[in-house]
Amino acid sequence: MPDTREPLNVFAERAEYWGLPVMTAAVAMLLAILSGQAQAQAREICFESRENASAVVVTEVEEGLPNVKCSEKTGGVLWWGDPYDGTVPMGDMPIEADYSQGEAVVMPRDSQLNLPPACGTACHNGTFPPPNNDNTPRQLTIHMDMVPDALNLQHGRGSIWCLDCHNPEVRNKFIDHAGDEIDFNQPQKLCGACHGPLYKDWRAGIHGKRIGEWASTGKKRWFVCTECHNPHDVQQGERNSGFAQLVPEAPPQLPRGMKNADHERPPH
Amino acid sequence: MANSTIPLRNITSTGGTDTTSMTRRSFVKNTSGVSAASLLGTAALMTNSDEAQANTEWAEWFQGNYRLMSDDEKQEAVVRLERRYSSEYGKKVSVDTKPAEEGVLFGYALNIQKCIGCRRCAKACVEENNQSRGDQEIEWIRVLKMEKGGFDETKMGEGYPDGYGIEIGGNAYSAAGVVGEGEHYYDPKLVPEEDFFYMPIACMQCEKPPCVKVCPVRTTYREPDGIVVVDYNWCIGCRMCIGACPYWARRFNWGEPKLAKEDMNPETHYLGNRPRMKGVVEKCTFCLQRTRNGRYPACVEVCPVGARKFGNLLDPESEVRRVLANKRVFRMKADLNTYPKFFYYID
Repeated sequence: MPDTREPLNVFAERAEYWGLPVMTAAVAMLLAILSGQAQAQAREICFESRENASAVVVTEVEEGLPNVKCSEKTGGVLWWGDPYDGTVPMGDMPIEADYSQGEAVVMPRDSQLNLPPACGTACHNGTFPPPNNDNTPRQLTIHMDMVPDALNLQHGRGSIWCLDCHNPEVRNKFIDHAGDEIDFNQPQKLCGACHGPLYKDWRAGIHGKRIGEWASTGKKRWFVCTECHNPHDVQQGERNSGFAQLVPEAPPQLPRGMKNADHERPPH
Repeated sequence: MANSTIPLRNITSTGGTDTTSMTRRSFVKNTSGVSAASLLGTAALMTNSDEAQANTEWAEWFQGNYRLMSDDEKQEAVVRLERRYSSEYGKKVSVDTKPAEEGVLFGYALNIQKCIGCRRCAKACVEENNQSRGDQEIEWIRVLKMEKGGFDETKMGEGYPDGYGIEIGGNAYSAAGVVGEGEHYYDPKLVPEEDFFYMPIACMQCEKPPCVKVCPVRTTYREPDGIVVVDYNWCIGCRMCIGACPYWARRFNWGEPKLAKEDMNPETHYLGNRPRMKGVVEKCTFCLQRTRNGRYPACVEVCPVGARKFGNLLDPESEVRRVLANKRVFRMKADLNTYPKFFYYID
C-alpha cells in the first residue's frame, strides 16, 4: 500500500495524537480539583498486549457499549466491545502459504510510534538530514536516549543494526534487504524474512493473536509482530519467555474461612 | 418461602416424567398439602412485591426443562426473562436462544508454552459472563502455576534412602508440576516468574462428560455443537456434577449472586451468561452467546500473548485444526476417556 503523504504531514498528525491525551488528562484533573473529590478516575487509555506499545483509548462505539473495558489493576484490556474499532484493512499480502480467506484488518501502528513531535519538525522533516545510506554499524549520537547502545542491540545477537530494518530516508517506514519500503502496519514482511517458521505459523493463525470472528472465512483483526514483541530488546534478561513481564490480575478469592493460601505453597 | 416453593417444583417435575402409577399416586397424596401451602406462600409474595416481577418468578417455577420446551414455550420464557432482567438491571437485556449450527463442533487450543499467567482470561470471562462479584466472586477459569522440571547436578549422589534407592542420577531430576496440583492463588509483582509455567484450566467441553452422566434431573447436557450447558432453572443444586468433574470446571452459587447493574452484560443467551440465581451450578460455555453469533470467546480476545486458539473442529482450515495438524498436542487427563475438546499444545 503506497503511502503518498509527506513525512511532514505525518508528523503533524502525530503531534495531534500526542496533544489530545494530555489535554484530556488536564481537563479531567481540573474537574477533579473543582469537584473536590479524589476519586480514582476510570482508565481512559489502556494497553492491549504490550505496555507502552499498544495503547487503546476507551470510547463508546454506541450507546452503552464501550470499545474496550480495562482492568483497574493493570490497565490491560479486559473485554472487547468492538474488535474492529479503529482498524484499517491490512493491505496486500504476498500470496504464499494458504492465506487466502477471510477479511483481515489491522490497527494502524503509526500512532503507536512514541516519537516526540519535535523529531518531525527539527530533523526528520523530509529535507534534513540528507539521506545517509552508509550502512556500517555506528553509534547514532543524537538517538542515544532512544537506543542507548546501538552497537549492542539485543536482536540477532549483535548481528543486526538500526538501519538493517529502519529506512534511513523515510523514517516512518521499514526497509527490507532488497531496499524496498515496508509499512509499519505490516512488520511481518520484514520479520518474516528471518523468522520463517514463525511467519508461517502466524499466517496459518496458530502463532500470534486474532480477534473478531472465529470462522476461517470470518473477518478478523490480526495482531502484527510488533504489537506483542519489542524487536529492540528481544533478549531482555528479566523475563524467561518471548514477552516482557506484566503485572498479573488479582488472584481468585479465597474460600470463606480460609485465611491465606499457604497450603498450596511448597514447604521449602 | 424457599421451603414452600421447592416441593412445588418437584411436583411439576415428577408429573412430567414417567413414574409408576403407585408411587405417583402416593406421592401426590402426600404432598398435596404442601402444594396448597406453597400456593398460598407465593400468593403472599405476589402481594408484597412488584406484581409483574412476582408473576414472572411464579411462571419461572412452572417452566419446563429447556430441552422439552416447544418453540412457543421457549419464546414465552425468553420474553419473561427479558422483562425481568431489564427491570432488574435497568437496561435493555436480550436473551438469545440461538441453537447450535449445523456442521460446527467447537474446539479450543491453548499454547501452554506461551501462557504467562497474567489471569486476564479469568477476568475477561467474568466481564462477559455475568458471574457473581464482590465477596462471592466466581471465576470459571483457574490459572495454575507449576514448577518446571529440571536437572540439578549437585544432587547427583543423593538417592533415597542414602546409599540405596535410585542411584543413577539420584535426586538430580525434579519432576514438572503435577497436573491439578499447581498454585492458583499466586500473586507476584510480575509474571511470568522464572522457573515456572502456567496452565489455565476451565471446562474442557468433554465429548463424554462425567457431569452429564451424574445429573439426576438432566439439566446439564451436551449441545450438538459440543458445548456442555446447564439449564439453570431446572438445576436443583445437588452439586453431583461438581463432584463428578475431573477438571474442577463447575462453580456453585452458594448465595444470591452479586452482580451490579453497571457490570451486567446485556447480551445474554438462555444457556449461557444470563444472570444466575442462588443455588445453581454454572460453568464455561465457550461464550455461547458470542460463539454462536460468530465471535471469538472473550478469553481468546484478551489473551495478551495469543496463547488461546478457538474454532470449528470440523473445518480443516480452522485455527484449531491447524494446531492439531502442526503442533504437539495433549489433553488434560486423557486417561479418563472423557474426550475433552480443549487441547494444550507446545510449539
